[in-house]
Amino acid sequence: MQLCKLLNTLNIPEYNLYLCLFIFQTEHKMSVEEVCRKYQTDIVQGLTNAKAAEYLIRDGPNALTPPPTTPEWVKFCRQLFGGFSILLWIGAILCFLAYAIQAATEDDPAGDNLYLGIVLTAVVIITGCFSYFQEAKSSKIMESFKNMVPQQALVIREGEKVQINAEEVVAGDLIEVKGGDRIPADIRVVSAHGCKVDNSSLTGESEPQNRSPDCTHDNPLETRNIAFFSTNCVEGTARGIVICTGDRTVMGRIATLTSGLETGKTPIAKEIEHFIHIITGVAVFLGVTFFILAIILGYTWLEAVIFLIGIIVANVPEGLLATVTVCLTLTAKRMAKKNCLVKNLEAVETLGSTSTICSDKTGTLTQNRMTVAHMWFDNQIHEADTTEDQSGASFDKSSVTWLSLSRIAALCNRAQFKAGQDSIAILKRDVAGDASESALLKCIELSCGSVRLMRDKNKKVAEIPFNSTNKYQLSVHETEDPNDNRYLLVMKGAPERILDRCTTILLQGKEQPMDEEMKEAFQNAYMELGGLGERVLGFCHLLLPEDQYPKGFAFDTDDVNFQTDNLCFVGLMSMIDPPRAAVPDAVGKCRSAGIKVIMVTGDHPITAKAIAKGVGIISEGNETVEDIAARLNIPVSQVNPRDAKACVIHGTDLKDLSQDQMDDILRNHTEIVFARTSPQQKLIIVEGCQRQPPNLHTTSQQTIVAVTGDGVNDSPALKKADIGVAMGISGSDVSKQAADMILLDDNFASIVTGVEEGRLIFDNLKKSIAYTLTSNIPEITPFLLFIIVNIPLPLGTITILCIDLGTDMVPAISLAYEAAESDIMKRQPRNPFRDKLVNERLISIAYGQIGMIQALGGFFAYFVIMAENGFLPSRLVGIRLNWDDRGVNDLEDSYGQQWTYEQRKIVEFTCHTAFFVSIVVVQWADVIICKTRRNSVFQQGMKNKILIFGLFEETALAAFLSYCPGMDVALRMYPLKPTWWFCAFPYSFLIFVYDEVRKLLLRRNPGGFGTEKQTITEAQKEKNISLG
Amino acid sequence: MAKDGEKNEWKEFIWNPRTREFLGRTASSWGLILLFYLIFYVFLAGLFALTMYVMLQTLDDHKPTWQDRLSTPGMVIRPKADETYEIVYDIQNTETWDMYAQALDRFLAPYNNSVQSQKNDECVPDKYFVQEDSGDVKNNPKRSCQFNRTILEECSGINDRYYGYQEGKPCIIIKMNRVIGMLPGKNGQAPYVTCGAKREDSDKIGELMYFPPNGTFNLMYYPYYGKKAQVNYSQPLVAVKFLNITVNEDVNIECKINANNIPIGSERDKFAGRVSFKLRINTMN
Repeated sequence: MQLCKLLNTLNIPEYNLYLCLFIFQTEHKMSVEEVCRKYQTDIVQGLTNAKAAEYLIRDGPNALTPPPTTPEWVKFCRQLFGGFSILLWIGAILCFLAYAIQAATEDDPAGDNLYLGIVLTAVVIITGCFSYFQEAKSSKIMESFKNMVPQQALVIREGEKVQINAEEVVAGDLIEVKGGDRIPADIRVVSAHGCKVDNSSLTGESEPQNRSPDCTHDNPLETRNIAFFSTNCVEGTARGIVICTGDRTVMGRIATLTSGLETGKTPIAKEIEHFIHIITGVAVFLGVTFFILAIILGYTWLEAVIFLIGIIVANVPEGLLATVTVCLTLTAKRMAKKNCLVKNLEAVETLGSTSTICSDKTGTLTQNRMTVAHMWFDNQIHEADTTEDQSGASFDKSSVTWLSLSRIAALCNRAQFKAGQDSIAILKRDVAGDASESALLKCIELSCGSVRLMRDKNKKVAEIPFNSTNKYQLSVHETEDPNDNRYLLVMKGAPERILDRCTTILLQGKEQPMDEEMKEAFQNAYMELGGLGERVLGFCHLLLPEDQYPKGFAFDTDDVNFQTDNLCFVGLMSMIDPPRAAVPDAVGKCRSAGIKVIMVTGDHPITAKAIAKGVGIISEGNETVEDIAARLNIPVSQVNPRDAKACVIHGTDLKDLSQDQMDDILRNHTEIVFARTSPQQKLIIVEGCQRQPPNLHTTSQQTIVAVTGDGVNDSPALKKADIGVAMGISGSDVSKQAADMILLDDNFASIVTGVEEGRLIFDNLKKSIAYTLTSNIPEITPFLLFIIVNIPLPLGTITILCIDLGTDMVPAISLAYEAAESDIMKRQPRNPFRDKLVNERLISIAYGQIGMIQALGGFFAYFVIMAENGFLPSRLVGIRLNWDDRGVNDLEDSYGQQWTYEQRKIVEFTCHTAFFVSIVVVQWADVIICKTRRNSVFQQGMKNKILIFGLFEETALAAFLSYCPGMDVALRMYPLKPTWWFCAFPYSFLIFVYDEVRKLLLRRNPGGFGTEKQTITEAQKEKNISLG
Repeated sequence: MAKDGEKNEWKEFIWNPRTREFLGRTASSWGLILLFYLIFYVFLAGLFALTMYVMLQTLDDHKPTWQDRLSTPGMVIRPKADETYEIVYDIQNTETWDMYAQALDRFLAPYNNSVQSQKNDECVPDKYFVQEDSGDVKNNPKRSCQFNRTILEECSGINDRYYGYQEGKPCIIIKMNRVIGMLPGKNGQAPYVTCGAKREDSDKIGELMYFPPNGTFNLMYYPYYGKKAQVNYSQPLVAVKFLNITVNEDVNIECKINANNIPIGSERDKFAGRVSFKLRINTMN
């Protein structure tokens, strides 16, 4: 492991690590005796209990160390002190400091600063707790995956078989496994009886592999005498000596390796960080500037500090991070409903910016079950229904040939349904038997009724199972007709072998001699079906003549004593793992969304290509180099590789490719299939994809790559990818742990839904942020004018918090429910370098334009109230010093009336309330204009019910805060005269009209340059917003 | 390497000589943006000015739209010591009370009989001095009643230049804030001021003397028509003289207005309808 780390630091590509993982394992090359000696164990007696206990203490329990988790308190503190919280903490501390100074210098200090400090602290802690609990909630979902039953293992110690907890297994233990068991540790097999293990979770090979005591390969992963921890024993029994336990097992090393792989920040996390930097920068800049300005203008230190607090509070959108969390949570929930379980909230958006998806074939693109796809009989290819719900077309079943064919398929077939599944749909039933036979069984059961009944009627007399030398399977049955004493011989196998044994062919129920013409037809059909990537089987039969094989004839299958040639050929059946129904559509969506779908599979290139064509990964009309060569009848080497958009790359070729060649392939082909790849190569492919520029227009290197995987060996690729997608049904635990997202239904189409949701949430978050940021300007400007022109403060810190954490919250969240403006799956993926969540254009609109109008609306309300109470604007300028002086209780207004401190403060606080209400009023218009970025509201409509609710909610909240008795004491908010509510209406209307006009110009001049000067800058500004 | 690249990138961002871009934009692009914002803000400023103008048009010149916050007029004392309402002085130390006397001199200067008779009219006492507008014709400027300094008698500072501070019998002048249109008192009963000690200080306050007698604000000074219509309005005053207040101790005093139609102000406002202050006279004797 140390060496591995060293290699890692030397920046050697990760796939080399796989090699080094296995360098140290040599047990497979040792003899059994050597292994026994090494672990001081006995081949018959096993370990002694004492020795086992000693080893257990030395090596620790046989379990994977869970990935290091950050302690809860660290997570909590991260929420408490991350992002804007630091700014707010500074604000709170300044408040307490200011209060402390006041308390020390004055007899009767005003409690304002103390209260504000407490409120700020509360705000930080509450939002921190909120985010923490949100995070805890999503991690809890993950924990539910870990609830595994403790595993048992059968060990032999001191000569006795004992069932112990798998965790207590130690190196040197002699253990026994049988079909159905999970291998409890890495074991060196010492004896085996027909033992087969399923290594798919480790190596990706789906075929079960034999295990025997002999060393067959230098590579421990390939050799047959090692069985690996957490793989499954499918059949047979084996006895072995444990050589590694826990983290030292191959699986354990991969898991450790994976946890060591660094995962980059998600795009949205980067975006939010970027955005926090901008806002913090603005806050600190403004705060410090005005602090210095205040000192220069002759304010006291204390006052300057209070201004600083005000500016910080006004600048920080306190509720925004909570809004973002809520929006992401909502989307995550929505995605979970669509079978995408998101482990990490931020991964919700990552999927939206994905520009390449590397997808597994089996199970993800396909249904993961062999199905009969085509049949050839009566010199005609018939298509079977391969859809999951049997909605496809059916074929003509009336032919006599079909009856014969189906009889062969049913009889010459060892597969059978497991018991007790009568109520389940045929296609979903479990079958005991291999994949092809199951496919045949289901096909016949579907089209001809109960196979069991058929088999009962035609009793099996003899059988030769399939073997690799014969390449056929044969059985002899009694006929259905009790009067007919002949025996029926049925045979299936490799088509060419079957054909060799046939002299006649069944056509329309009539036996006809097999002539050259028919052989040609057979060849064509075989080629055609094979070309579709399907596994083809030939079927033939023969009614054995009664005179030679009378009833009771003893068929000897070992030394064949009956006729196995001159048979009658009946037909071909071909099988494939068919694509899932929704996949071609989903791939099409990906294509129009500018997402490259790359298929990575361990299958044969022809099958891979056929499926790729079937689902549209290789689109119609696009050819590979080989296709072009075949079409033009020239050698492959003469074809210009640039002519081919599609390509199928063989895993063995991949091994020899240099990085540049790899880049060249990925860049110049839009449709790529990797066939016969080992899971280890997946990592190379992912890295290759990540190196590519996301699209043709940029040179910046880095693509957001999504990868699906289910095996343990996929986990480094899952971790390396920007978003790893694990399979919920077939996925291994390690892969689920490494992934960011889990597809509960293993269906590729779910990823596409995820992409759609991810893109939508990015758009909507942008809207939410634009909405929330806009109200920052009417929050900051009062402070600035207060300091610069010495007017009474128009908006207080408490009211700012009421906006940020109260009225703005629901409308901002409601924007997450906004429907997509146009077809978001018809545009290119977001360029993470150019299309920022918050860019200068958004800031320009929010701060420079809409925010300014809002501020004017608020100030107008402020001046109206002041003027109607007797303080005309001319009187207000410069009044601040007297206004805020508690000693002045006869301050004169414009009319000559005199005011006490408290009386004018009530007016001031009424102004705060009115300013607050005005912001609510202008935010009505803001939320409506933020709904869309290009479209008019009249095009988009007001279908978002949550948003309508939000409008009413914020208004009701504002009214409540203004009119509820006791608010004057609690928050210093006062009831407003009804007319004051309408002060901001013209401004609200202006915002709406201004933005509608802006969007109209934008739609008229999509290029960005209009004739009017105003439009130019406008449209320029907008161009990228609308793209982003 | 990487750092150099970053640095260059920054440099290029600030000024890109190839495309002649400053901060990612060309001069003309910046110019257009500035022009746009200039036009935009001028337009906004114009709009704001328009709405403000319309709003100001709706206001009455002589009376503010709302006066509900002034239903209980505030009260203020003179002399006023800096920010706090504390009058603390040392009889023997002239400097400590001289400033109070000077402050009162300045405050009372406009009430000199000569000034008053010159500017204001003699009115009929004990009656509101109502000067109604006749319909649309404004009866402006409105006349004001004389409040002669001599009404304050011993506290007028005419006979006693030091307003009794020297003898430990200081005068405090109380005034009630101006509120347009306010008619304090009902049924011809004039509002009057009473002062008393707060809490445990009641035995320390000693005898008080009010000028004018009973500490009344004569009805003829009401209503007030605003500074535009009633330019020379003289706010009526009440003086309180503390005749034998306990020396060398803090005495907390509260004076309040007594009028049957002035509501008692809120608990929070210490200066609506009342005024509190602390008086401490130090002496060696």
